[in-house]
Amino acid sequence: MDPGLWRLVAFTVEVAAASTALVLVPGVLVAWALSRRGWPGRALVEALVTLPLVVPPTAVGLALLLLLGPAGPVGGWLRRTLGWEIAFTPAAVVLACAVVSLPLLVRQARSALEEVDPGLLGVARTLGRGPFATFVEVHAPLAWRGILAGAVLAFARALGEFGATVLVAGNIPGRTQTLATAIFQRVQVGREREALLLAGISAAIAFAILVGVELLTRGRERELAR
Amino acid sequence: MLSFDLRLAAGDFELSAAAAVEGPAAVLGPSGAGKTTLLQAIAGLRRAEGTVVLDGEVLQDTARGVRLPPERRRLGWVPQHGLLFPHLSVRRNLLFGRRGRRRAGPPDGGGGPGPGARPGDFDALVEALELAPLLGRYPRSLSGGEARRVALGRALLARPRLLLLDEPTEGLDAERARRALGHVRRAAEVLETPFLVVTHKLDEALALAREVVLLEAGRVVAAGPAGEVLTRRGLPRGPHARRNANVVRGVVARHDPAAGISAVEIEGGGTVLVPYDASLAAGAPAVLAVDAEEVLVSVAEPAGLSARNVVAGEVESVEEYEGSVYVQAGGWTARLTPAAARELGLASGRRVWMAVKSHSWRVVAR
Repeated sequence: MDPGLWRLVAFTVEVAAASTALVLVPGVLVAWALSRRGWPGRALVEALVTLPLVVPPTAVGLALLLLLGPAGPVGGWLRRTLGWEIAFTPAAVVLACAVVSLPLLVRQARSALEEVDPGLLGVARTLGRGPFATFVEVHAPLAWRGILAGAVLAFARALGEFGATVLVAGNIPGRTQTLATAIFQRVQVGREREALLLAGISAAIAFAILVGVELLTRGRERELAR
Repeated sequence: MLSFDLRLAAGDFELSAAAAVEGPAAVLGPSGAGKTTLLQAIAGLRRAEGTVVLDGEVLQDTARGVRLPPERRRLGWVPQHGLLFPHLSVRRNLLFGRRGRRRAGPPDGGGGPGPGARPGDFDALVEALELAPLLGRYPRSLSGGEARRVALGRALLARPRLLLLDEPTEGLDAERARRALGHVRRAAEVLETPFLVVTHKLDEALALAREVVLLEAGRVVAAGPAGEVLTRRGLPRGPHARRNANVVRGVVARHDPAAGISAVEIEGGGTVLVPYDASLAAGAPAVLAVDAEEVLVSVAEPAGLSARNVVAGEVESVEEYEGSVYVQAGGWTARLTPAAARELGLASGRRVWMAVKSHSWRVVAR
């Protein structure tokens, strides 16, 4: 494999891993909050978290660009105070992937958390655990398969992210280009054989991931059936 | 002493229950009466309005904005099917609450500190509940009865001030249920923990509790000492099939295996003869029950009657209630058809003999 291609694959996987790591803890905490009833603003948070799933990724990318660009409120502030540039850097790729994949993690983790018998959580409370300790010691461990499946889905979504990435991070070979954006670029410049190879690699990675999720889910059904 | 006055609505169901009981106590009611809901509301696991006061400490008083979360109420909860943590071994399930207490320290909710975890508790409880062979196992490999024993131990090791038990024998066959009740009594004794049990089984309530709260359709219809509550007539209509039980407490006096008889001297005087039962140790306490419909009433001194228990007395009251006549005399309550009551001419002051066959008695606790 030529070293440039290898670097492209490695960068894409790294970005997906970083974005998954970035959303894992906040995503699970949001899922937990959404699985608990009776607090104001829950519907609003739920809508906000789901939004990136239903609007075009390019719209998400545009919003991120306006926010993180050198003139945007967040990007401008980061530039002035810390001297950081976000837009059109690898960090922007990670952020774009994170925002777009967050809903998948949250939804999967939430449904796994909601499957846990609330009685078990009640028992933990009567045994002296506060809500957060109950979450850490009982709720999350009992939903770990679903949380893991959610993380894998988020990872897979990040691997294939295109629309948001292109807008906020561009398609700069060797800097912000991922497998998804590289395929587009190769086709545009007429290097279709290369594009096909990249598509094949993407498909292979995605296939491996989907098989992994399937195995996890099947394990979960077995566990529930016991 | 636990007193509660709680109200909550969930769909069509409305709970509005108030009572004060001293453990060991039982909430007795048919399924759907709201027993589990009441227990969860007391534990703070279900949001209810009103008050919960345990030994003078206010756990909840919503009118004054007080509502301790469950982790600060120090009430042990043993749910119906145990609800063990499936990801933890039996040993770690048992120690779950103890670890939490140590970390959390004494509750800052005021009131009595209550006894903390003592070093011997674990071993004593493992022995009382016969848990030693289970310690290394995981909940999914336990039987229903085993899981409940572990749940009971887990709740007790957290040193609650009051243990709340939800239908401790539901789904167990008679022999296992009897053993389960023995375990509840022994374990609560070992850790000196009072308890409140909810059940729809009269005998279970009697076996475990001295005080009973009758709950029907979300409302308390009677509360007080078991014998009194369960023989009270004129209670509102409800599906208690056996609310008219005669309940006595006593001490096993002697056995006569040849005659097939065991004698129990009952509190307040008198002796009751029951079928010979080797498992009743002489000198041990026993609780006996007989349903009101099993009691015969005679206006002449019975002669040539096989029933072994006959007491004479004057009729204290005759009440017709929902198609039956309840006659009280000599400390017993009999349930008759109106025709039988009319034919005998039963009226207050009339001298009668009340007879009960030995085999009609149920030994509900020993």
